[in-house]
Amino acid sequence: MLLGVSAIVFLMITLTPGDPVEIMLADQRATPEQVAALRRDLGLDRPLVERFLVFLGNALRGDFGISFFHRRPVWDVIAERLPATIELTLFSLLVAVLVAIPLGVIAAVKRDTWLDRALSAASLFGVSLPGFWFGILLILLFAVELRLLPVGGRIGFGFDVLRITGFLLVDTLLAGDIAALRNVLTHLMLPAITLGLPTAALLARVIRSSMAEVLASDYVLFAEAKGLPRRRVLLLHALKNALIPTVTVTAIETGQLLGGNMIVETVFGWPGLGRLVVESIFARNYPLVQAAVLLYAVTYVMLNFAADLLYTALNPKVRL
Amino acid sequence: MLRRRQLLATAAGAGFAPVALHAQRGTSNVRVGFSQDALTLDPANHRNRETQTIIRNIYDGLLTRDPDMRIVPEIAESWRAVDGKTYEFRLRPNIRFHSGDFLTAEDVAFTFNRLVREGAMGGQTSPRKGLLGPMTEAVAVDERTVRFVLSEPWPILPAMLPFQEVVNRRHVERVGHEGMQTRPDGCGPFRLVEWRRGEAIILERFDNYYGGSLDIPPAGPAQVDRVIFRILPENSARVAALIAGEVDIINELPPSAMRQVEASPNAKVARVNGTRTFFVALNNTKAPFSDLRVRRALNHALDKQAIIARILNNTATPLRGVMSPDAFAFNPDLPEYRHDLARARFLLAEAGVAEGTEMVLDTTAALKEVAEAIAALLSRTGLRVRAQVWEGAVLTPMWQDPARRRDRDMLLTSWGNGSLDPSDIMVPTLRTGGRGNSAGFSNPEVDRLLDAAETELDQAKRAEMYKRAQAIVTDQAPWIFLWLPQDIYGVSKRIAGWRPQADSRINLHRVRIVA
Repeated sequence: MLLGVSAIVFLMITLTPGDPVEIMLADQRATPEQVAALRRDLGLDRPLVERFLVFLGNALRGDFGISFFHRRPVWDVIAERLPATIELTLFSLLVAVLVAIPLGVIAAVKRDTWLDRALSAASLFGVSLPGFWFGILLILLFAVELRLLPVGGRIGFGFDVLRITGFLLVDTLLAGDIAALRNVLTHLMLPAITLGLPTAALLARVIRSSMAEVLASDYVLFAEAKGLPRRRVLLLHALKNALIPTVTVTAIETGQLLGGNMIVETVFGWPGLGRLVVESIFARNYPLVQAAVLLYAVTYVMLNFAADLLYTALNPKVRL
Repeated sequence: MLRRRQLLATAAGAGFAPVALHAQRGTSNVRVGFSQDALTLDPANHRNRETQTIIRNIYDGLLTRDPDMRIVPEIAESWRAVDGKTYEFRLRPNIRFHSGDFLTAEDVAFTFNRLVREGAMGGQTSPRKGLLGPMTEAVAVDERTVRFVLSEPWPILPAMLPFQEVVNRRHVERVGHEGMQTRPDGCGPFRLVEWRRGEAIILERFDNYYGGSLDIPPAGPAQVDRVIFRILPENSARVAALIAGEVDIINELPPSAMRQVEASPNAKVARVNGTRTFFVALNNTKAPFSDLRVRRALNHALDKQAIIARILNNTATPLRGVMSPDAFAFNPDLPEYRHDLARARFLLAEAGVAEGTEMVLDTTAALKEVAEAIAALLSRTGLRVRAQVWEGAVLTPMWQDPARRRDRDMLLTSWGNGSLDPSDIMVPTLRTGGRGNSAGFSNPEVDRLLDAAETELDQAKRAEMYKRAQAIVTDQAPWIFLWLPQDIYGVSKRIAGWRPQADSRINLHRVRIVA
């Protein structure tokens, strides 16, 4: 599978018109000999098939070559950007789940009332929010007008936190610096909301429908007939089962969040992988794009696999 | 709205009540909201303007430019051309690198040999080699004298030297070429504290700084404790950060946001003529553009003042030819193709171009609005011009290749001229076969003048040659001559001692905080 992805990625990016050398030199003086020398340095003078085989051989050993523009190994460049992206993705997911569960449950319980319809409309709106526009709106409101939250970045400049894991929430905790932790959280807020809200809207719809289904089932009726308190029935009996399909959707949505990062990271100056990939695509930075897409593919596959495992674990009716 | 208020309430409840975003813990900081992160901190290993803007605050060069773009000595005390192919530089004494090592002629020679020798960077050749033309080697003559050897005379060497920074030979030996990417040891006004990739570059004042160029007062150590380049690639976010007081200088302020910045109480707009010439390359090898009358007609047809006023918010200077008015050898006496639709129609009819003839103007997404305006204005002649948007990575190579551009009509594009020397823009864009000669322009007299000027050491004679070449180019109209956009910055009223300069450097050595 990964071999297939590698081949497709390699072909797609190298066959996309555009020449990294010309982009790199832009409109600066360069003689044809100098252009040729740069091309040779980057290994672009060799035939496509040879380049692909070299790429495959190296990729198998975990070597993705040198990023044309950073002139450093691709993995080093990616590794230093990855924690920022993972942190933002997980935090956005948290925001999404925290928003989605109560809304989904309320909509299911009050289904076919004006509240349910309002929530449906709101979630349709949420799903279709363009992150680019929504992010700027949030910046204008919270950073420029109200001055409650920062415009972008990961941490204020008054804080020197030793970066051990690269996850600033973890690193500030390790350092025991609560002020820094708070500062990191203020920086996470707006990008996480921008990224998480469309996911929240989607999850809320999933929870609503599975919750509605569960609420109509016999055992819920039975539990209610036993005279159990409504709250207990909802949260303990119904929600637990209603969440099972949500887990799968959440895992897949995490993959979507990784993709959504590309825009949100650009808007908020978030130093993550998404922005790096966007910049690299425009610059035709082949090695970096290849490695990053492969990484995305692996992550996506792993997330789906994890979803399957979790689904089996949570739902005794399914046994592999 | 409910949800938003809830979120805000949650945020406040969790302890995120108004945070002191400007808390500086007692140090004076100047913060730049910058559009792009540095690709590397090795001055020899990139071809990127933004990277150099950042590096230039850490490293100094032999020569630099003052805000008026005059070339002045920096590390050098003086220089002279021994003959056409040899230059000698005398260095200032007692210059220290951040590591404490003293700078000597050995370091300067090492720096330039690393730039011009094949494979001198651990087997790779510096991508900046091309910026030093025919330079073949640098030799340390004594402790404070270094000699540059060229394979042929190249009078623009001094204009190209502000693009290079001097590294510490011993440091390169200590950390290797790899280490140079992230561990700079310059002799510039600031030293690196931390590089948070993709997020920020934090620099602090170097207290043993030798003071910088004596021609740009005040010389001496930097006036602020710290300088932070904060990477904010998105235009609106950069503007928001300036208005919110989170940064003090932003680059690439979009013209559409100028009014917003001017209206804010704590920031203002600063502008300077850039060095990038905009033009529409006409495919000179294809009919009807091969006809001089058609090329002139198109120049007469375009009301560029209308575009400058309505789309560019009056942030561009119209051009009659190729060169910036700030450049060396600018020809101020070029005739103008006045906006004159009747004349344009007459010339087109004379050349036999039928009304309704279709033409395509190629461009990239960034210039879409301008391209559409140009197409609409040209269409007033009766031609049917439409704009076609391409991705830059596709468009540029297509127009660079004579075979592939054979069927194209017009290209809205630009060419940078950071050295402000005609050699740097006229040779690539107008000499026969030049890398950026997308118009396919070929004129033997222009070629002869450009070639002669390349090696003419008498600057007055050189200027004369370029002025003549500019006159021929304007007369032959291979392009529709457009304008020179200004670089627009947003600057906080809290700082002083900085103004934008044409080469888009942001040198923070002399910045101070006033409020």
